[in-house]
Amino acid sequence: MTELTEIGGPGEVATTVGSGASPTDADADAGAGADSGSGSRSGAGGPLLAVDDLFVSFTRGHNTLQAVAGISFTLNEGETLGLVGESGCGKSTTGRAIVQVEKPTSGKITFDGADVTALNRNDLRHLRTQVQMIFQDPISSLNPRRRVADIVAEPLTIWKIGTKDERDAKVNAMLESVGIDPSVAGDRYPREFSGGQCQRISIARALVLEPKLLVCDEIVSALDVSVQAQILNLLEDLKREHHLTLLFIAHDLAVVKNVSDRVAVMYLGRLCEIAPSDVLYASPAHHYTEALLSSAVEPNPEVTRTPVILAGEPPSPINPPSGCRFRTRCPRAEARCAEEVPQLRPIAPGHQVACHFPIGT
Amino acid sequence: MTRLPDPTVQTAPLLAVDDLRVSFATPQGELRAVQGVSLTLERGKTLGIVGESGSGKTVLSRAIMGLLPQNGVTQTGSVRYQGQEILNAPNKELRRLWGTQIAMVFQDPMTSLNPVQRIGHQITETLKLHLKLGRDEAKETALSLLMQVGIPSPVERYDAYPNQLSGGMRQRVIIAIALACAPRLLMADEPTTGLDVTVQAQILDLLSTLQRDREMGMVLVTHDLGVVATRTDEIIVMYAGNVVERAPTSVLFSQMSMPYTEALLRSIPRIGNPSHTRLQAIEGRPPNLISPPTGCPFAPRCPYAQDKCHREKPPLVEGAVPGHSYACWFPLSTQSAVAAAGAGAGGESA
Repeated sequence: MTELTEIGGPGEVATTVGSGASPTDADADAGAGADSGSGSRSGAGGPLLAVDDLFVSFTRGHNTLQAVAGISFTLNEGETLGLVGESGCGKSTTGRAIVQVEKPTSGKITFDGADVTALNRNDLRHLRTQVQMIFQDPISSLNPRRRVADIVAEPLTIWKIGTKDERDAKVNAMLESVGIDPSVAGDRYPREFSGGQCQRISIARALVLEPKLLVCDEIVSALDVSVQAQILNLLEDLKREHHLTLLFIAHDLAVVKNVSDRVAVMYLGRLCEIAPSDVLYASPAHHYTEALLSSAVEPNPEVTRTPVILAGEPPSPINPPSGCRFRTRCPRAEARCAEEVPQLRPIAPGHQVACHFPIGT
Repeated sequence: MTRLPDPTVQTAPLLAVDDLRVSFATPQGELRAVQGVSLTLERGKTLGIVGESGSGKTVLSRAIMGLLPQNGVTQTGSVRYQGQEILNAPNKELRRLWGTQIAMVFQDPMTSLNPVQRIGHQITETLKLHLKLGRDEAKETALSLLMQVGIPSPVERYDAYPNQLSGGMRQRVIIAIALACAPRLLMADEPTTGLDVTVQAQILDLLSTLQRDREMGMVLVTHDLGVVATRTDEIIVMYAGNVVERAPTSVLFSQMSMPYTEALLRSIPRIGNPSHTRLQAIEGRPPNLISPPTGCPFAPRCPYAQDKCHREKPPLVEGAVPGHSYACWFPLSTQSAVAAAGAGAGGESA
């Protein structure tokens, strides 16, 4: 836990937004009954979400696949944390475990003072009004047989919030705020909309219950760049308007940098590095972060990086390497890396790295 | 190898496309996916075709390959491979070119391979068919190809099924199959989309190296300006079925003239920019290709559009720099020159 307080320490972002976030606290009454332990809720600017030593495993025949192998981080109120990594690194599983779509094998996820892994069925339902998720494929995440207005209204209907007219007004306002004209779009079906518009509708649905935490899993990776820019700008506006806290999961380093206050890098189920985004991109301390950054392509022929080409492919998560999981592809690996698992440790304020031989030391 | 073109056309460019138009018959009407595209590619050069979804880039590359279905598709214009007309050629004739002369790498490495055949078989199949190699000879060649595309322990992979390989490995196998018969022209349609960034860098480097070593012509079709920025000689930017700008790569990035190219480039988040930099999104959507607007296809979304842009469609015209052309009534360079002249700074963009 000492590490956790380290991360949550520098609270410039959190404190400024913390006061702004208080109006939503009043709306949170629906969830208050659920949070039986909410008396222990930390004060404004404290972590809204704390993930502590999270493990998520899947069983495949006789094999156990550790998709997430002991990660810890915190997310302050009003902050955007980017989670990057390549396919199979466990970033999506982490997001799904936080919204409790996936059951963690062990570890603790504390949201707003309550341990969500210990919630019963009913309390879990209440949690979902506070924590929402948006997925990668905008078209398949909307029910094709329901009208757009009904899709966005459903969370309100389920929770019997307001009268029919109040719900309609809320849905219309929500659709308008994501840039969809409710008078034209409300009676239509998802198939009549483009990918970018469907993603806007998904965002409206996720925000209609005024959640505190939004988990975004690769929400722009299926979109064209011009549309991607529209959605990213929209997300920034809505975040400010609704005092949201964001966990932004993506593989695109430039996209993650654009939206995030802090960025966490994952490799094969573990965290490599967490730092404020400008610091992480300017002076990465983990060799994997450096390799990732160097292989990113930029739309500029003048930028000629010499990419750190990683040898081979990521090892199988069913049988991960001993010690540091990156050591089989790491240019700096030594004997110690095979024996000892590097723990996430602070090297600068707000900057943590899990490496025995970090860059620049 | 049987039908090499006769010596008189040997000087013809490797690939020459002239006023290619492709349209699909749909219940709503005729969808004009490619509306008059011309391009040339010389041996040993790489051409990038960039555009967003629906711009016609994939249809264009498939029309060049002759892979579009016969029914409901109208293709006019000309596609000449080393001087030989191949547009609307019968499949029998095209089959002689496929593999040995022209090869294609498709986007999705997960579905391009036959899932129930071993990797080795899928490579030797082409070798036996086109080059008439014997079994042992074919296997030897296949193993050396797997080695060339950077697959570790090729002898074991030779007997593997596609599902036993990762996405990056599968794309390497597909590249090995495409290169098996030493084609002169490689069409790569989004070869790295869907792959991880570190793998993308490996695959792009592999393609560049192989292209240089074999002096192939390569067409790299992608939505990502970052992919083509450092790996092409010339770039074509497509929008709504039209070529809107064409230029040598360095010229395109330094002196772009078409507002769409500029808007596309500006909407991309950059690693070099600080966090929370506001992105310049292109508002609106590309036009409907069944009833396209009469004027410039980009006019409805263009910040510089004037009356003329909505009325008349601009032709692709040659700019000041050789090889640079654009389809715009009010290209950016002249606008900045006007602005510069207005500021009394003098126009240097002559």
